[in-house]
Amino acid sequence: MNNEIFLKNLFQAYYQESNKDIPSVSMLDRREFGFLLWDNQFMQRHLGFAQLDDLRQFLIKKSPKHAYSSGSLYSRPDDNDMENKGYQGCDFVIDIDVDHFYTECKNDHDLWYCKECGTNGKGIIEKCPKCEKLKITRIAWICDKCLDIAKKEIIKLIDNFLIPDFALNVEQMNIAFSGHRGYHLKIVDPRIRTLTSDQRREIVDYLTGHNISFEILGLHEKTSIFGLLKDNKGWSNKIMAKLEEILRMDPLEIEHFLRDPHWGNLTALRVNSLLNYREDFLEIINGKKRSIWSIEGFGLPTWKKLLKAVVKKVGAEIDEPVSIDIHRLIRYPGTLHGKTGFKVQELEYNQLDEFNPLDESNELIDPIVFKSKKQITQKLEITDVKVPATKIKGITYGEYDCGEIIEVPHHVAVFLLCKGVAKIV
Amino acid sequence: MSISYELVKHYPWLPSKKIHYSGIASKDPVDFIKEKIAEYPDGELVDRIFNIFKTAFENIEEIKTYKADELNVYLYTILKILLYINNSIPIANRVANLYSKHTYNKLIREDNDFNLYSICKDLELEIEYHDKAVPFGLIVEKDRRQVLQTRFSIHYIDYLRLASNLRDDYRKLVHNALIKGFVLIEKKDLTRLLQEVVRKKLIIEQTKDLSSLDDFKNKILEIKEMRELNERILGEWELKKEEFEYSFEIKYKKGEKVEESFPPCVEDILMKVDEGQNITHIERLFLVFFLHSLEIPIDEIVNLFAKLPDFDRKKTEYQVEFAKKKGYSPHSCSTLKSYSLCMAMKYKDKLCLEGYHSKKLDSQRKIQHPLFYVQFKQYRKHKPKEEVKTKTKNE
Repeated sequence: MNNEIFLKNLFQAYYQESNKDIPSVSMLDRREFGFLLWDNQFMQRHLGFAQLDDLRQFLIKKSPKHAYSSGSLYSRPDDNDMENKGYQGCDFVIDIDVDHFYTECKNDHDLWYCKECGTNGKGIIEKCPKCEKLKITRIAWICDKCLDIAKKEIIKLIDNFLIPDFALNVEQMNIAFSGHRGYHLKIVDPRIRTLTSDQRREIVDYLTGHNISFEILGLHEKTSIFGLLKDNKGWSNKIMAKLEEILRMDPLEIEHFLRDPHWGNLTALRVNSLLNYREDFLEIINGKKRSIWSIEGFGLPTWKKLLKAVVKKVGAEIDEPVSIDIHRLIRYPGTLHGKTGFKVQELEYNQLDEFNPLDESNELIDPIVFKSKKQITQKLEITDVKVPATKIKGITYGEYDCGEIIEVPHHVAVFLLCKGVAKIV
Repeated sequence: MSISYELVKHYPWLPSKKIHYSGIASKDPVDFIKEKIAEYPDGELVDRIFNIFKTAFENIEEIKTYKADELNVYLYTILKILLYINNSIPIANRVANLYSKHTYNKLIREDNDFNLYSICKDLELEIEYHDKAVPFGLIVEKDRRQVLQTRFSIHYIDYLRLASNLRDDYRKLVHNALIKGFVLIEKKDLTRLLQEVVRKKLIIEQTKDLSSLDDFKNKILEIKEMRELNERILGEWELKKEEFEYSFEIKYKKGEKVEESFPPCVEDILMKVDEGQNITHIERLFLVFFLHSLEIPIDEIVNLFAKLPDFDRKKTEYQVEFAKKKGYSPHSCSTLKSYSLCMAMKYKDKLCLEGYHSKKLDSQRKIQHPLFYVQFKQYRKHKPKEEVKTKTKNE
């Protein structure tokens, strides 16, 4: 049987069985909906549903590969012309997707192969190390480590920014596991809906620390270099508190952070210098005197480099365009993700800490919906050059090579088929 | 929360005007204007309105005839009607900038914090006033240790609505203290936000429905005094407009008129300045460095900036002179691109997009610096026509 027909039938069975569990979103009748169907590569959008039941019926009938709704509200959500939709405001949507930022585990599970010479390997590369061509195909994978990093990012965002700085309460946040590589958070607050894209950009900069000016926060050079002050509220305080936390870590960890090209990217000499002055510098951070930053080998550019790394640690790794663009569509909760077969799972704030999408023990919030109680297995043939190892429900499957015939549990088969790396035998 | 009658007379753009002067909104505008003109037969109403326009056209920052009296409230309404019927963005921007700057100067002198708080509340801004000043920062210098503190904080949504248009980097949310949904804000910065509120109240969007605008305009101008006043205003504008245009005829160091050789990136900023729009810090710097490179006199550069909403003559003079002393060069095309200030695509400028043919290198070259753009255009202008023609063919 064709993969897509097989998957469509499965998705249809899910939508039939779980129809009553498909949740509503606030003001559903004013949202635009979009779907990617199995037999068409173009998004079918500009659709509207007067009530939840209409949407549920549509899901059963079409069983889409991907289902989305808008963060925006419109008076005519089904109008094909954006100009005529009657825009009424947009919720603030945040997307945290591990594909958009560096995680160490990608070196273990992300694969690449060169379409020119066939060479393949692990990690992320720009060009083929053998033939030096740029025709690289990347197989991005997931693991519990990177999904955990994504989860920590969303918790950091809520605990360090949205609650203390923006005074939002958790009832105003619709949190969901995206069904693949991250989490979505939608802030439902009528006041936020009125913000323009430019104003949303300001919030994004605040949450990420992008476009921050260290000079405006106080870093400057006269006869000496004057640094940021912990006593200054806002980002100055956030940066200095984090820098202090880093400096109090084990020297090896400090060195790792400062030397890593994805973080500090400092030379060994400078790292040593900072470690030598560590105690004095900690005193300066907590002292009430002028904040003169005088460390051998540290000019203004080096301080900025270090501060940038600290800002990266403090800020949340969000997918910026998603929050800024007011006409984006986001995955609809309760629907299935066509690249994994996992459910877009709504979560309460207090469920986040324990939540583990690849091995969730709480049945009610388990995004892996195609588990078979009868231990049904499925025979597949691997069609991609190489398939990374996948740990689902505590069991590791793979790595697999092209042409390999495997027999895996139903939910793992759905995952591999959705990923497009295998076919039914 | 309603505001005092006295405060409305000082600041007639306050929403509470509707409560204290409910008659204005309910009356037909023509009847209202006729009634008020009759009420002030000495011509004070008309003269004070004309003075505002004249002051705005002269780029002066203070309205000398401003009085916080009852007439001030009526005058404001008629001022708005005049801006509407003339449907001219440059005129409205000039008046809005002057009126809002004047308001800023008045508000900054308010020593009663409660008035400022009441004004914000009247504007439905979510504002907090702290009985005890809240410290939010520290400036530690050689012999000085200054605690930054304020009694005001504003909800971040209102802050973003008002501040995001101002473009100054230090006003960005990321550079401010945001605690429990409120941005701690110093009085002068809060006042600057209010200036922006006032400015927005007076700027207009060009009306598309010209027939109903014309009907309304004809009705208003049927009133003799209004017709005469409007003619005076437009006459003054024509006179001053020429001066503005003349002021753009900047002389190149070789004694050449050079403004028609400006690249689109400069043109775009100049257009914003001319319309009195807010421009970013980077745009200001670039424009100053660029004009300095062409040896434009400092006075002319300063006067150019006088049209901006946040213009402060002394500060601008100091900064423009400082930049001159330092001899900074204007940003290159690649730097401008990184700041999204390159306007080649927006204006589809052929020279920027396609470059030019270098005879020396016998190859197509890209323009890499806005000053080179000027030099190249000037060069083309002065080449004998035939040579340019041939060259164009070759391109």
